[in-house]
Amino acid sequence: MTEATAKSAFNSVISAVTAVFTALIFGFVLLWVCGYDAVKAYTTMFNGAFGSANRFAETIVKTIPLTVMALGTAIAFKSKIWNIGGNGQFIVGGALSLYVALNFKLPALIMFPLSIFMAFAGGALWGGLAGYLKAKYNANEVITTLMLNYIASFLLAWLVRGPMMDPAGFGFPQTPLIDKSLQLSSLLAGTRLHSGFIIAVIIVILCWILSRSIFGFRMELIGESHEVAAYSGINVKKTTLMTMLISGGLAGLAGWNEVFGLHHRLLDDVAGNYGSMAIVIALLGGLHPLGIFVSGLLFSALLVGGGTMQRMSGIPLSLVDIIQGTVIIFVISRAALTLKSK
Amino acid sequence: MAYAVEMSNICKSFNKGKVQALDGVNFTLGRAKIHGILGENGAGKTTLMNVLFGLYRADSGTICVNGKPVEIHRPKDARALGIGMVHQHFMLVRTMTVAENVVLGLPSSKAPFLDIKSATSKLLELSNVFGLKIDPGAKVWQLSVGEQQRAEIVSVLYRGVDILILDEPTAVLTPAETRDFFKMLGKMKAEGKSVVLITHKLEEIFDIADEATVLRNGKLACSTEVSNTSKQELTRMMVGKDVLFNLKKSSYEKNALDSNERLKVKNLSALNNKGLSALDNLNFSIEAGEILGVAGVDGNGQSELCEVLTGLRRIESGDISVNGTSCTGREPKAFIDLGVAHIPEDRHMTGMAMNMDVSRNLIIKDFDRKEYSFLGILKSGAIERNADRAIAEYEIKTSGAEARVRELSGGNQQKIILARELGKNPKVIIANQPTRGLDIGATEYVRQKLLEARDNGAAILLVSADLEEIMQLSDRIAVMYRGRMTGIVPGASTMEEIGLMMAGYDNTKPEACNA
Ligand SMILES: Nc1ncnc2c1ncn2[C@@H]1O[C@H](COP(=O)(O)OP(=O)(O)OP(=O)(O)O)[C@@H](O)[C@H]1O
Ligand SMILES: [Mg+2]
Repeated sequence: MTEATAKSAFNSVISAVTAVFTALIFGFVLLWVCGYDAVKAYTTMFNGAFGSANRFAETIVKTIPLTVMALGTAIAFKSKIWNIGGNGQFIVGGALSLYVALNFKLPALIMFPLSIFMAFAGGALWGGLAGYLKAKYNANEVITTLMLNYIASFLLAWLVRGPMMDPAGFGFPQTPLIDKSLQLSSLLAGTRLHSGFIIAVIIVILCWILSRSIFGFRMELIGESHEVAAYSGINVKKTTLMTMLISGGLAGLAGWNEVFGLHHRLLDDVAGNYGSMAIVIALLGGLHPLGIFVSGLLFSALLVGGGTMQRMSGIPLSLVDIIQGTVIIFVISRAALTLKSK
Repeated sequence: MAYAVEMSNICKSFNKGKVQALDGVNFTLGRAKIHGILGENGAGKTTLMNVLFGLYRADSGTICVNGKPVEIHRPKDARALGIGMVHQHFMLVRTMTVAENVVLGLPSSKAPFLDIKSATSKLLELSNVFGLKIDPGAKVWQLSVGEQQRAEIVSVLYRGVDILILDEPTAVLTPAETRDFFKMLGKMKAEGKSVVLITHKLEEIFDIADEATVLRNGKLACSTEVSNTSKQELTRMMVGKDVLFNLKKSSYEKNALDSNERLKVKNLSALNNKGLSALDNLNFSIEAGEILGVAGVDGNGQSELCEVLTGLRRIESGDISVNGTSCTGREPKAFIDLGVAHIPEDRHMTGMAMNMDVSRNLIIKDFDRKEYSFLGILKSGAIERNADRAIAEYEIKTSGAEARVRELSGGNQQKIILARELGKNPKVIIANQPTRGLDIGATEYVRQKLLEARDNGAAILLVSADLEEIMQLSDRIAVMYRGRMTGIVPGASTMEEIGLMMAGYDNTKPEACNA
């Protein structure tokens, strides 16, 4: 690792941490002004995120899908392709891998990699569709990925109530559980922390390698400008499509992780608002894999700890939301500032 | 009488003091004077004027306008003082028309609606009066670089200014356009307005300027009345030593076997960005070791020709072959792989990735080659070594290989493109305004490099607005007029002959045409 790359990794981490802490200070003042015991609230929040093995595990469990999805988002954003369809790609990836796991009787050793592949393929299909429309017809990806989100979530709602519904599930909108042998093993006994975390770390490393590769360079040049990319001999359409395939594929892997590691089945609305959080985390991490990993952790801590703070100290959830909103504002203004100062 | 502008002791550094762009510079602009600013690439000319125009804040120093001390924090303040600036790099919004750009931010008589109609007619009037042809209704992205330059100038004039700053405005104008443009500057001077003219062309200083300031390495080298100085003295001030110009050009021998056709074009036609015919049935070829100069008023198809010959623009009909291989309809990559180098006219939009660093810009065409990657992963060591070599060889002025090219001066950005394109023994070189924005020394160096490449067997297509450059380098000269080549003449033709051809008279004998 050269000096320059070490520096950029360091910078992305530092600025993520700074943004979060500035927002926390702001929230502290806000709580205090509103007459709450801010010190107690923050202690509760911290304990909620890290206070016990169980709380810590919960934080990590949130980190896993958010980080993986944010990595996918970042890859598209680096090429200035605004893929906001993480949710849809997450759902299709999760659903496809679950379908395979439920319907084919294969040894775990084969099923395991197959399901990972199917998750990636499902996400890539959903992302690639938008990529194809952009490359071929110059269709705006913000609109297409958003529309594909809706399609995917209605598709999911139908699947868990229709063809994939658990016959023994008392009518709950959910699928049956996957076989025990396919469920990701626990990393910490007595908690929900699963070995998907290791996979997430591997994906972080792979993304970091990708950013230093020939293909990463292509994607970055596309993000600089299509004119320059074409001038450099890059096939802009093909690279755009490839970028969306990978970006969607990563969101699909996030879905796999959530399904095989945490729920072991598909639920209605399994993706929640992960998509929009992944966007914030990607930007907070400066689109750098390491920065994203750290901001994924910080943001999850904020979510998990914030939930606890609200439950334990009677502080309205809207204040927690405000703190999260402040993080987002800091992220955005930092992006605007770096653009302006040039 | 007070000076129009008086800047004293201006200091400006970038990157937290790592780059001292201006170091205690004094500058005075007399009222109703034309003042030339000279200096090598990266000397600080643009930075000094950006300080005056409010784009940069000086670290220290004072500015007086018309004798009064002023604080200029942003371009709006400068405009309020009657200062207008035509930038070295274009500022127009590319998706809007010229007229829309002009009225941007100005009060409108039909508020809240824009008054495009009266702007258009006033623009046409200005363009007539000053002899700068523009099309107010055209979208900026559809314009050639020369047309954009004219649009930039006219849009600043439209606002009406007392002090006009021009940062290398003539770099892409033809001699005739430059003449008209200077006439206009003379008129402005007669009306009592003051003009700052940044240029690398010494003749222009002696043609039109009253006073001159020379910067060297961010410091004031000298400030003088033009009548009291000479070209030699100014050059010495710029460079710090005497410069000798002795471009060596070996004579060109036509290959007897005629088998060395490196670039051949047959019945080539293509459209421009507006969808109109830009190239009309062109036929020519260039042999190994030959430079074909293409003269002509900008906008007659030169840019489109360069794009077509590098795969960046689709052709309507015809045939292109490189080294005997047909490239018709192929992607840019195919041209690159066949050894076609391209120095594009618009370095910002096409030639480089402005937010990437110097070292990466030097390999944007080669990053997938074995030298720079192992198992698909880029080798940062090799990339940095390549950058260090190029920086040393081309004397690129930068704070380092990891500086973003956006931070480099215009001429140094051009050097990066040249280092990349000329660095690897190209078979064919498509050079569109290769010395645009370079200082005297660098211009000489690049011309020498082009001649070296030619002597090493490259076939070169040289497009330039600078007729002297064309005459000096070319073995044969073609003139483009409305998408056609008005005949190809030997390099030894006279300026007058070529001037006539540029206006559309085809006075070449048929046998001189190389079909
Ligand atoms: N925004 C910036 N950030 C960092 N360095 C800068 C910036 N702008 C200019 N510089 C540096 O300041 C120095 C002077 O640059 P400037 O653009 O004023 O040169 P110039 O005389 O206009 O040269 P040219 O003839 O090439 O246009 C250069 O070394 C350049 O790298
Ligand atoms: Mg400059």
